[in-house]
Amino acid sequence: MSVIAPNFKLSEFIKSILDVGFWGLLIFVLIGFPAAFIVLFYIEMPVINGELLTPFLALTWLADPSRTLPIIKAFMTTDLFRIAAFPGFGFAALIAAGTIFVERKMLAKLQLRVGPFYCGKIEGILQLMGDGLKLISKEIIIPAKADKPIFWAAPVLFVATAAAFVSLIPVTPGWVVADVDVGLLAVFAVIGFFPIITILSAWAANSKFPFIGGIRALFQMVSFEIPLILSFLGVVIVTGTLNLSEIAASQSSFPWIIFFPIGAIVFFITMLAELERIPFDLPEAESEIVAGWLTELSGMMYGLVQLGTYLKLYAFAGLFVVVFLGGWNGPMIWPPFPEEIITKGIELGPVTAQIPGLPVFSQEMLNGAVWFVLKTVGVIFFILLPRGVFPRIRIDLLLDLGWKKLIGLAFVNIFIALGLLYAGILGPGGIF
Amino acid sequence: MADAAFLALSVITIGSAIAALELRSLIYGSIALMGTLGGIAGFFLLLDSPFVAMFQLAVYVGSIAVLILFTVMLVKRELIFKKVEDKRRKFVGIALMLVLMVSLGAVILESGIKEITTDEPAVDFREIGEDFLTYYWPALILMGLILSGAVTAALVLARRVDEENDQRVN
Repeated sequence: MSVIAPNFKLSEFIKSILDVGFWGLLIFVLIGFPAAFIVLFYIEMPVINGELLTPFLALTWLADPSRTLPIIKAFMTTDLFRIAAFPGFGFAALIAAGTIFVERKMLAKLQLRVGPFYCGKIEGILQLMGDGLKLISKEIIIPAKADKPIFWAAPVLFVATAAAFVSLIPVTPGWVVADVDVGLLAVFAVIGFFPIITILSAWAANSKFPFIGGIRALFQMVSFEIPLILSFLGVVIVTGTLNLSEIAASQSSFPWIIFFPIGAIVFFITMLAELERIPFDLPEAESEIVAGWLTELSGMMYGLVQLGTYLKLYAFAGLFVVVFLGGWNGPMIWPPFPEEIITKGIELGPVTAQIPGLPVFSQEMLNGAVWFVLKTVGVIFFILLPRGVFPRIRIDLLLDLGWKKLIGLAFVNIFIALGLLYAGILGPGGIF
Repeated sequence: MADAAFLALSVITIGSAIAALELRSLIYGSIALMGTLGGIAGFFLLLDSPFVAMFQLAVYVGSIAVLILFTVMLVKRELIFKKVEDKRRKFVGIALMLVLMVSLGAVILESGIKEITTDEPAVDFREIGEDFLTYYWPALILMGLILSGAVTAALVLARRVDEENDQRVN
């Protein structure tokens, strides 16, 4: 029996939890209570509305929704909420977590496997959480001859760049972290950082497999950026704006994919290549070069790169939705907020709670969010699907596809846009 | 606020430019060059031209810096560069740069830049596009011809003649 990993005993586990609880309670009683009383004794509490603000009064106010709702509503208009929670990081990370679970289960079903099964009661739903805990608790190993500053910085920069990309995607009307006038150009500027970080991380590892993978990633990303930019130009020419919110708002009656299916197809293929997904996963080709440019990353550094990859996947899918599929536009399916809650209040048996400040979100905003999430999830599904179907293609075929076919098709798309514009069908003064 | 941002950007830009020249490691030098180019993009943002700033980021940081980085990584440093450490040359170079900078600064300050008001709205990129297609169209076409000539010439120069195949055919 080893000392490092003794056999698990439930009784000892419960005993350890009780031990921790006992010592915590003891320390709190001996140190925490006296400290709290000293603070209460020496600090003069403010008088608000003729009442002394005691801790009990503060707790009562915290439990009163008519006082807390305005605070929550005010917090929701701040930049911090937008960056951390709704259209920003928290929302994107939630969709990314869902994506990872669906990807594993769906691929397993496609290949007649079971997939994650034991972690969590239902179909291994807690597997991702388990993996995250494992990655956090693992040791981070840096190769002996690695270039340490760059090697440490690369995963953090990767996540930061992916988060910057996420911040540019408008989810519902008015709900976007950074509503820049030159949104699409900002997207291209942000995408341009990914190959740099990849090649720097690969070089800094000082190992041959990461370097081969990094050079492949560089070739692939740099050459597919050009058809990516060109595939958007049709929509930009017709709408006459680079602002992503305005592009989404311009599709209130029909999505642009109806007029620009070629651009949408070019963008979708380019997106697969930029995301390094099968059939274009040459930078991470695990059957040839171990794990490509991720080979030497370990522990949470690998976890950060994976988080960045899935944030990037969400952002690309969101960009596709915003530019080609109409963004948040869709028929109204969200039920209106019940009027009697605003006029009469919530009745719970004998108690009636009159809560001012409801509803927290407007009907349009919720409806837009639902449509955006539905479309984004659909696009993510089509990004995941090729992984179960296609083999990996060779690098020369990949570059040939990018430089010759996709760029040509993107130019065809631009000429379609120009034709529609000059024929007076779309654009300012057009029929639609 | 803008002054603090300007000072920070100046420190970043000039500091990383000096680092790009002085660092012995070529990789770190090219990373510092990226800092310089990104700092210049920050100046464009401060000057209310986000359009130019984004192109600065996308083209200079996203493509040209990557090209430099890639070239540096594939090159063995010892074979090309000989270390010529010469204190006197260095000081002369610094003095020459200071003279140049002071004279340029004097010229710029004399040119009436102080009277410019800075509360104008940002330039719309649609106006830039219109100007390019109306007033500056000969320059645009000339630039297009030069660029396509350069690309064609690069393709011709970089073309590899596969000699083995010729022999096999013969």
